[in-house]
Amino acid sequence: MRKTLALTLAALLLVSVSGRALAATDILETGSTLLYPLMNLWVAAYQQAHGDVQITTQGTGSGTGISQAISGVAQIGASDAYMADAQMKNSPMLNIPLAISAQQINYNVPGLNDVHLNLSGPVLAGIYSGQIQYWDDAKIKDINRRYGSKLPHLQIVPIHRSDGSGDTFIFSQYLTKSTPSWAGGPGYGTTISWPSVSTAVGATGNPGMVQTCQNTKGGIAYIGVSFLNQTDKAGLGYAALENRSGKFVLPTATTIGAAARSLDAQTPSDERISLIFAPGAESYPIINYEYAIVNPKQSDGAKASALKAFLNWSLERSGGQSARFLDAVHFLPLPSSIVAKSKAQIEKIQ
Amino acid sequence: MAAINLSVRGAAKAASPATLQRTGSQAVLRTLTGLAALASFAIIFLMLFFLIAYAYPAIRFNGIAFFTSPIWNIGNQYGSATVSRAGFTAEAGAAFGALVFIFGSALTALLTMVVAVPLSLMVALSLVYRIPRMIRPLANALVELMAGVPSVVYGLWGMVVLVPWIGGALAPWVTTHLGFIPFLGGSAGSGNGLAASVFILSLMVIPIMVATTRDVILAQSNSLFEASMALGSTSWQAMVRAVLPSVRKGIVASVLLAFGRALGETMAVLMVCGAAINSFPQNVFSPVNTIAAVIVSQLESALTDASGMAQRSLAELACVLFIITLLVNVIARGIMRGADRREGGHA
Repeated sequence: MRKTLALTLAALLLVSVSGRALAATDILETGSTLLYPLMNLWVAAYQQAHGDVQITTQGTGSGTGISQAISGVAQIGASDAYMADAQMKNSPMLNIPLAISAQQINYNVPGLNDVHLNLSGPVLAGIYSGQIQYWDDAKIKDINRRYGSKLPHLQIVPIHRSDGSGDTFIFSQYLTKSTPSWAGGPGYGTTISWPSVSTAVGATGNPGMVQTCQNTKGGIAYIGVSFLNQTDKAGLGYAALENRSGKFVLPTATTIGAAARSLDAQTPSDERISLIFAPGAESYPIINYEYAIVNPKQSDGAKASALKAFLNWSLERSGGQSARFLDAVHFLPLPSSIVAKSKAQIEKIQ
Repeated sequence: MAAINLSVRGAAKAASPATLQRTGSQAVLRTLTGLAALASFAIIFLMLFFLIAYAYPAIRFNGIAFFTSPIWNIGNQYGSATVSRAGFTAEAGAAFGALVFIFGSALTALLTMVVAVPLSLMVALSLVYRIPRMIRPLANALVELMAGVPSVVYGLWGMVVLVPWIGGALAPWVTTHLGFIPFLGGSAGSGNGLAASVFILSLMVIPIMVATTRDVILAQSNSLFEASMALGSTSWQAMVRAVLPSVRKGIVASVLLAFGRALGETMAVLMVCGAAINSFPQNVFSPVNTIAAVIVSQLESALTDASGMAQRSLAELACVLFIITLLVNVIARGIMRGADRREGGHA
């Protein structure tokens, strides 16, 4: 008797679980590890009010985000990079900005991790191409007079992403726009052909970059600002970067906002634009829109409307753009003109 | 099918119902196993055929530079310019030279064998002859457990424990105190690199080699060991001069099995190798990269290459790995046949 009861209960449980699974619309978000921490905050809050949508998040790298959104595996491909013209011609996708992000240059130089070294595009290009090999190189000393004597004769280990990455995209774009020799050499992309440097290390994802830089004395790495709490905890320093006006600025709400404002009027209706090396004395040079790469033609109507509802919520001042989410990951909300353009793009999802 | 029916009918004339049943089922079994054997050939050749067909544009585009150039560049994805060679097009600046990855695969796998073969033989011999009977089952169970651990677990352990240790303690000490020895001096690096890859790969292949070597030694009757001891040799001499030569074939087979595993291992290596690109290792702590690891780490960006050439070049890399593995197998069979002939009827 008891056995029958248990079996019946188990069967009922199964039915109710599968019933729920059938009723809920599944949405898969995958890609950028820079956007991943924010997505987790968003999804947790959104699910509480919308039990009928099941959103799964994955931090796999922007390259994966773009390719899985194209292949249809994921409904939202998170990317720090907008898609290239040639890619768009092959597979037209929506590139929808969700927030404004930045990237910091972290380093592990014993004795200097609690101050902010100055670094410039040409010096970073020199480091990543192997011409600047030690932390006490004259070119680094020149822009760090204050710490000149404290810079150690320590080998620099340039750390880059080994997976396809939007962070590689925005970092290499900064080098391209600030340093002619880099523009004529490796250029920019989600994966680039790094110059031959025997000490250079490849790491996977932003978490891998933090860990490798923490383990490596003399290491330098480019890491998304949403990992600032982790890089602080790891005891890494971060640099003030030289902007287009020749000023060294730290990534703060003020400097990131200044850079975003200087380019928001120029953002086209498809919103594919680089915000790197923006003009203005206050502008931080490595900022970007965080994109949701979305196929305008979804496989079914239920998915399309659930997707639109979530993306629209993420752009609301009272929703995804509120400070309680963005502050935690050091992102900035989109200016209202960009929100309008993003919403117009979301309307195209079918 | 017709053949089966015929043979069944032919058997039916002469045989009793019981024999008929047996012969019938035997014929069915023979056909099924025959088909399965054929299928395994067909699958391998079809895979290779489709891989090569898919990689063909890359094979033409890259030419011999694929094997001689260390520069891997998927080209400027965000430009509008393209480059054409041999009638096939890629993004401007694209160059697919796989020398770094081919060299890295060979180097990590060979060094792994150098570390793992002697260790595995010693462990296998001691499991059979040395370890007290009481704890032998436990030791055997441990070896089998290690052989069954998924590679990503080794990789994760390597990433969070081994790499920080190499980068923080081992490499600085070795490069400072033993730096005068070739390939041990120079930059200590981050811990990700050749040493970590070889360490992790050794951990992964040693249990496999120990298990297979132990089994072939156990399959050999104990009389050889005892006879050798009776003739006055030490147990070391008995093991090395009498037992090991008698199981040479089995050892070669297990070494090649392990070599294949080391060549093809992907995730664990990717997690600790430092993903070198365009550069060769300078010392044992330098970052390296292997064919398998680079296919995984480059795949997603390659999939977004509008010209498709990056994907096809990765397929060409996969062909190379496939062919190397096939060659290793063929060579293994050659060695074993050679050993057969030398050892004559004895083996």
